[in-house]
Amino acid sequence: GDSWGIFTFLCAALCNLPALPALNCTEELGAGQSIQKTYDLTRYLEHQLRTLAGTYLNYLGPPFNEPDFNPPRLARAERVPSATVDLDLWRGLTDNARLAANYRAYSRLLCYLRALDGQAGTAELRHRLGHFCSSLQGLVLSIASVMSSLGYPLPAGPAAPPAPPGTTVAPNDFLKKMDDFWLLKELQTWLWRSAKDFNRLKKKVPPAVVTLRLEARGF
Amino acid sequence: IQYERVGADVTMKCGSMDWDATVTWTANGTDIDESHLNGSYLILKKVDLTQSGQYSCYEGSSWHLKYQTYLRVGTPPKEPLLMCRSNNYPKGFYCSWHLPTPTYIPNSFNISVIHGTKEMVCEKDVFPKNRCHIRYLQLFSTVKYKVTLTVTNALGKNSTTLTFDEFTIVKPDPPENVVAKPVPNNPRRLEVSWQNPSSWPDPESFPLKFFLRYRPLILDQWQHVELSDGTSHTITDAYAGKEYIIQVAAKDNDIGTWSDWSVAVHATPWTEEPKHLTTEAQIAETTSASTSSFMPPPTTKICDKG
Repeated sequence: GDSWGIFTFLCAALCNLPALPALNCTEELGAGQSIQKTYDLTRYLEHQLRTLAGTYLNYLGPPFNEPDFNPPRLARAERVPSATVDLDLWRGLTDNARLAANYRAYSRLLCYLRALDGQAGTAELRHRLGHFCSSLQGLVLSIASVMSSLGYPLPAGPAAPPAPPGTTVAPNDFLKKMDDFWLLKELQTWLWRSAKDFNRLKKKVPPAVVTLRLEARGF
Repeated sequence: IQYERVGADVTMKCGSMDWDATVTWTANGTDIDESHLNGSYLILKKVDLTQSGQYSCYEGSSWHLKYQTYLRVGTPPKEPLLMCRSNNYPKGFYCSWHLPTPTYIPNSFNISVIHGTKEMVCEKDVFPKNRCHIRYLQLFSTVKYKVTLTVTNALGKNSTTLTFDEFTIVKPDPPENVVAKPVPNNPRRLEVSWQNPSSWPDPESFPLKFFLRYRPLILDQWQHVELSDGTSHTITDAYAGKEYIIQVAAKDNDIGTWSDWSVAVHATPWTEEPKHLTTEAQIAETTSASTSSFMPPPTTKICDKG
């Protein structure tokens, strides 16, 4: 069976997020409050991930669940978007670029996580993964709503398969587990980074819309 | 210089002199008793720290100096204690170390920092001496840092390794300039204010949250308040008239651990000036005005206990 072909198809289908309609409710909230909401979501997800990762790594077994496990980064793991960035570059990101980087990263990460879900061993694990994926989808949508309320275009979704076929299928069980390990690591790091990204956005995008509306109501 | 372990047996030869030559050994200028000699060799059994010093060997009759050495008694190093911390995130981090027990002889330290495949340079601080710092080249890294400290001296070596993620070692310095003041006309309030630690480089992008604890000196239990915003807080449930001790700690909003507690400040809430003495004096004045002689107030002080 062409397992890689099936994987690619599934991923493309799952990752094809619909274009967001201009939701009245988010416009009323204003960019400032949406950013706060998104920030809160990243904190919630980071907290959730700790439990999920612990369970999943235990499922993978040693050495993946050992706290000192520090494997070298193999080239194949580069397909998962990395949060790592040069400090000055990160500081200098425009609001649009900052939001877009987050949006792209979580869209891809969500995609990979969903693929994980399909293969996970225990029912408990599938349940946790499923719940986490829903929350993560919520984060992606939240970022998208912030972007649209600020007038930024949404980056194109990962329509193409995440990597050229033939080079990324894990040739054995151990390497597949390594891929899973790095996926969770990148996800965790992105959630730490996003908290800082949204902190910066909070400061730079004052809730001007909210202020105006208060004035209109005679405050 | 000759280094020897505590508890070891030391044999010193008098340079090129034969075993059966007549020599005199001195330790820091004092002659050593012949019982410690085996021919012309000096035997020191189970040396201790007090036996460190200058040993000299003189030819018997001519009193020519034939050999001289400094003996330093010490121990090989035990496993060093290493700590790494980022109090200036996102600029970088520092590592500091020390030995759990002294070796009594000179030690040299070598520190290596490996990040993935890259070896990074940890710049040694001038002061304090056992400390070095590193600048982050990249932020939000998924790869752990591996820091190895090796301590070496003439009697041996030892080392320890720390492996950590960028986020886990973030720990700010305590808040600075903590000030607590009473609030006029409010007997249960205390106004506390503080500043971000000056070592934290970018509180705008990396905001800190704070933890305040306070208690009256007479009680042991602390009250706690966590504050996610701002560098001031008003305590509204202080016990009237009681002196309070107050401390503040800081933490990055999202990552790392809490700082140590700040220096403690003391403050007592505002209390009303006692009024009853003034009222009695007023009554005394009005009564004395009518009798034209001053009448002392009812409470008399017994000054002469004769």
